[in-house]
Parts: sequence; structure tokens; C-alpha cells
Amino acid sequence: MRRPLFAACWKVVELRSSIDPLTGEVTPDHLSLGVSRSDEAALEWALRSAARWGGGVRLVTAGSAKTEAALRQGAAVGATELLRVDLPIDWPSDWIARAVAPHLADADLVWCGDMSTDRGSGAFPAYLAAELGISQALGLIGVELNGPDGPAGSDGPDKGLGFEALRRLDGGRRERLSIGARAVLSCEGATTRLRRASLDGVLVARDAPIAVRVGSRGTTVAPAVASIAPFRPRARVVEPPAGPTARERIRSLTGADAAGRTARAITLNPREAAVAILEALGSWGELPAGLSGERAGDLP
Amino acid sequence: MTERFDVVVVGAGPAGSMAALTLARAGRSVCLLERGPFPGSKNLYGGVIYGRVLDEILPRWIDEAPIERWVTRRVTMVLTETQSLAVDFRSSAWGAKPYNGATALRPEFDSWLASEAEKAGAVLVCSTTATGLLLDERGRTTGVRTDRPGGDIEAGVVIACDGVNAFLAKQAGLTSTEDPSHYTLGVKEVLALAPDEIERRFGLEPGEGADFEVIGGTGGIAGGGFLYTNRETVSVGLVLSIEGLSRSETRPEQLLAEFKSHPAIRPLVAGGDVVEYGAHLIPEAGLAMMPRLAGDGILVAGDAAGMCLAAGIWLEGVNFAMASGAAAGEAAAEALERGDTSAGGLRGYRKRLEANFVLADHRRLKRAPHLVLSDRMQHQYPQLVCNLVEEIFTVRNPSPKQGIVAQARQERRKAGVRLRDLARDGWSAWRTFR
Repeated sequence: MRRPLFAACWKVVELRSSIDPLTGEVTPDHLSLGVSRSDEAALEWALRSAARWGGGVRLVTAGSAKTEAALRQGAAVGATELLRVDLPIDWPSDWIARAVAPHLADADLVWCGDMSTDRGSGAFPAYLAAELGISQALGLIGVELNGPDGPAGSDGPDKGLGFEALRRLDGGRRERLSIGARAVLSCEGATTRLRRASLDGVLVARDAPIAVRVGSRGTTVAPAVASIAPFRPRARVVEPPAGPTARERIRSLTGADAAGRTARAITLNPREAAVAILEALGSWGELPAGLSGERAGDLP
Repeated sequence: MTERFDVVVVGAGPAGSMAALTLARAGRSVCLLERGPFPGSKNLYGGVIYGRVLDEILPRWIDEAPIERWVTRRVTMVLTETQSLAVDFRSSAWGAKPYNGATALRPEFDSWLASEAEKAGAVLVCSTTATGLLLDERGRTTGVRTDRPGGDIEAGVVIACDGVNAFLAKQAGLTSTEDPSHYTLGVKEVLALAPDEIERRFGLEPGEGADFEVIGGTGGIAGGGFLYTNRETVSVGLVLSIEGLSRSETRPEQLLAEFKSHPAIRPLVAGGDVVEYGAHLIPEAGLAMMPRLAGDGILVAGDAAGMCLAAGIWLEGVNFAMASGAAAGEAAAEALERGDTSAGGLRGYRKRLEANFVLADHRRLKRAPHLVLSDRMQHQYPQLVCNLVEEIFTVRNPSPKQGIVAQARQERRKAGVRLRDLARDGWSAWRTFR
């Protein structure tokens, strides 16, 4: 059986910048190159995954040679492979994901941080999952690697390589996920802390080999944008609130007594899920006229 | 697991990096430990680097070191609450090679110097604190313990360049009892100003810098002030006696704010945005506080050895640190070559320091710190001199001018300075600075 491979993706950036108070010019501090807490957490989860299920850890970054010192820090704590994809770090996330994806095609779980300290878009993990054509679980705030094995991914080669995680949702809500290989995961920095490298590790990592691949952004197909307009919630005509007292009328007006939009767990294929989402949005009045679940047939 | 090097140098400041550079060039395996994430990240100074000591070791330092400005203007100023008197010296020779002194930012300068040590073969390990010495059963230093897992490093010689607190020298029993009067607290603000504005205010050409050393302006606390021009910032700060500061129950930042608002200082710094504030202990007592410089398997250099020279008109630290580090490196290499790293085997370190300017200057100026921080020198004489000069230049027509000697006598009485104290301090100053 193939040994599982776990990967962590790091974005190496200047952790500090100085802002000229006279001109507002931002100058990154070249001495502070490093990664965010969440990127560090991603490597720690990759290392723990390898400890749990065996296998190696590939640490990947994209950028110039100046990122290599940071990569070696990853080797110092236990990453078994170091890979740098040579490309301009100011490429958009989808280009970077396209350039990095071929080097992660054999990874069972790809761990990413959910944010970088340079206020990046945070879109890289999603683009990467799309490029790899695998599942994604983004914004993890809790990971339980040591629980009972969850369901292995249906398309994963390694049965039993599964676990549970907690993901943040809008509005302070949470979602418990059952994750299996293969998947791209992004985690918050608070989920764990990267282990401290041993002195021996630091010294050995000085000579750790770093594979360098030239990044290619491939062919970019820009999405067609029909129109761009600011978001304006649609006004809706509602009946005058009923009730003998102001309090009751306010409760009626705000729908406080109405049945809430209760969450329900359903299992659907992507197409059915899209239809269901559109139907729900339409029934809540959140879609413009003419766009509803009935038009889901137009979906590709 | 224990690592093994010929030498481990603790602290990648100017002393540590020079020691590591010297040893690496001598073909020794050397580990340079730095507790900060990069060299210079923990360091603080507001001063001038005199790089003559680098001429032989790094001949191209003038072109390669990250220098902010070359100092061409040196001002020594005396402040009272409302007056100031300055000796303002300029030299265009200092603005051309080989230059005299330079301002620099320590994160940049220390990183550059450590990178030179790395290029020579030293192994730089950052974010790693030496938590103590490894000692054998006879109490001989055999290495250091770090805060990393498995972080013991064995070495033939440990060179402690761990800064003013000198934890390793203390553990090795090389320091005597600590005296708070041996230390001052330096506080500093870095203020952002446009380069052309700095040049206009300080009367400089592009690339030129100014160095202001100030006596007084410290709210009655023994110490002094300073102003240095960087490329796009001005460093302004105070050096304050620890005991005086403690007795005054005043916060140093309040004193610094008052210093910045002095009529002689305000026009130089007005409108500058604070981009950095820091404070650091300074070992000021020179020879009086120097530890034993060598023990069995250990040498002490830089601020850890109290090498900073605070002698009134001369305030130097980085050059003393670099020279002591280089000497420590040479002595350690020599001792390793001979196979004797006992205190006796490492005595070449002291000999080197005595043969060059480090101990010679400290010896010559050993009375200076006490003299400069004395109450009369700090308070009575500045007031006396400023009042005398004000009196001399105040025109009181229709009264005729008084003789300067008569005015001096009058001001001396007003300031409450006794003639015999004046004579004693004058004699002491002459002996100190002759």
C-alpha cells in the first residue's frame, strides 16, 4: 500500500512593514521574512497527520529564493520534503494555485493556513482544491486527528484516513465536518502551535535539499462578468403588523415568533445541492426576480 | 543529542559576530547563537559606529556596511532649563574616505556583520537562547545549554557576548557583586523626518550626519542626552543614572518629552513622528565594573564585559565591542591550537585587549565615568558656565562691561561652587583627559 503523503503550503512574506508617516509609503522589513501563525499551524497538522497515519510531509512554498530560509525552518521541525515553486509572489491566488497544484497531485491531505500576514485574499486553498479536483474544508477552527477514524474519502486511496474537524461559518455558527482523503484544508492559527525545532533539527535543516520547480500560470480563462453593481437588498412589501400592543407588532414585524430558518442536513450531489440552495434563497426572498431554483436547469 | 563545536559564541551582536568571523577564518567550527529571530532584532543603541577597527578585518566595510550617514558634525552641548551652550565642530574630512564615524540602524548593521561571519563559515542559529553554561565536575565551562529541545552544545571555548546582563559571566563566577551605580538606562525615540528636512535642520549635505552629545537636560538626574541623524530618522534620547531615576520617581519617557521640548532641542525634532521607542541598560563604569575576562573554557566580550566607554566627550560602544570580540576570537583560536583552553591558556585575550585601544582607553579614562556623573559636573558647572556666558554676552548699556574674570568669580559664588572643589575637579579632569 502506498504511504500517505501530507503536504503543507506556506506563504512566506515579510511579517513586519514600516509605514512612512510622512508619505504613507509601506516598506516591508526584509529581515522579518516568515509565515503566519495559521501557516505554522498548517505544518503542525501535517506533521501530526504523518505521525498518526505514517507517511511523509512535503512543505511547499511559492516565491523567490529568499523564501528558502523559512522553508528550512519547516525542515527543522520535521518536514521531509521541501519544495519551492519559483514564481513571482504577487501573482493572483488562482495562478499560484495552478502553478503549485501539479506538485501536490500525490498528496492525500493538503494543509494550508487560512490567512497570511500580508492580507492576502485567502483564496489560495479553494483555488488549489479546484485545481486538484478534490474536496475542501476551509476555515477549520478545531481538528480532532486522534478521534476514531472517520469515513475515508470515497475517492481516496487510503481507507481509514479520516477525521473530524470543526469549521467556522458566517454569523458565528459552526459546522462539524467528517473529512477524508483527499482534501485541501485550511486552518486558523489558533488551532495549534507549531512545535519548537530541536537544535539538532535546526542544524541539519541548514543543509536540507530544496527542490525548485519553475512555476507556470498555465492558461487563464477570465470569467465573464455580466454586470457589476453594488449590493442593494431588495425592498419587499409586507403586511402591516398585527397585534394589540406595540411589542407584539414589533415581534410580528421582525418575525421573532415565526418559525426560523432551521438548519437541516441533506445529502445531495452538487447539481441537486445547487438547486436546493437556489430554492431556499428564492423562498427567503434573497434572489432577484427571475432567478430562482426554477432556473436551476440552466446550470451547467 | 549534544552538538559539538570548537567554539560557541553567545550573542550575534558586534562582539559576537566579530568573534565568530575571526574564528571561522581561523578554520574553527563555530556556532553563533542569537536569541532574537535575526541578529540586531534585540539590540538597541543610539550612537555612532567608529569602524576603524573593521579596516583590516573587513576592508570593504565602507562600501558594504549598511551605513545611514557619515558623521561630519560633532556637537557637545551643555543644557540648563532655559540655556544651552555648544561646541560645534565640523570636518569635511570626516565626510570622505576613510571617514570617521557613521550612524547605522542596528538590525541592519548586526545582520550584515553576522552574515559576514556566516560567509566565513560560522553557523548562525537564531531564535535560540543560551539558558546556562555546561560545566564539568571541576567547574570548567564545557558548553552551553539552550532553550531548544536537545539543545546542549559542547565546545572547547564559550565566548559570552550576551549583552549587558552578562548572565553567562555571572554563572561562571567571573563578575563581582553588582553595583547599580555602574549602569545607566538609555531611552530613545526614533523620529521620522524627510531626509532633506534633516539636512536643512542640522545643516548637512546629503549623506552627511550629525552627532549631538548633551550634558544636562535630564531633569536633574545624572546622565545626558543625545541626538543622531539617520537617513530618514533622527534618534533622540537620554542616558539616565539608575539610582537617580529611581530616587526621582519620574518616568524616563516623561524626561525624554521634556528634553525634546527644550528650546535648543525642539527646533531639531519638532514635527517628527515617533516610529520607535526603546530602552536599554548601558554598562557605564568601564574598568570599575569589568569582570574577569577569562575563565576555564570561557571568555567574555562586548557589553557583557562592560566594554562600553562612557567618558564624557567620548561615548563609544560598538567599536569596543567589535575589537573585544575579534580579540576573543583570536585568543580562542590560539588556545585551541595549543590545546589549552584553561583560564591561563586564554590569557592571550587580555593581552590583546591591553595591546590595542580597548583596555588602553579604558585604563586612561578610568576616572572619567565617575567624574562625568558627579553632582557638580552634572548640575553646578553647566549652570555656572551657561550663566557666565549669558552674562558675558548680555549688553547692559549704559553700564560698562565687566571684566570676564570678575564675572566668573561672581557666577561661581552664585552657583555655590567652592574654589577648592573647582580646583579639585579641574585637577581630576586634567588627570583624566591629559
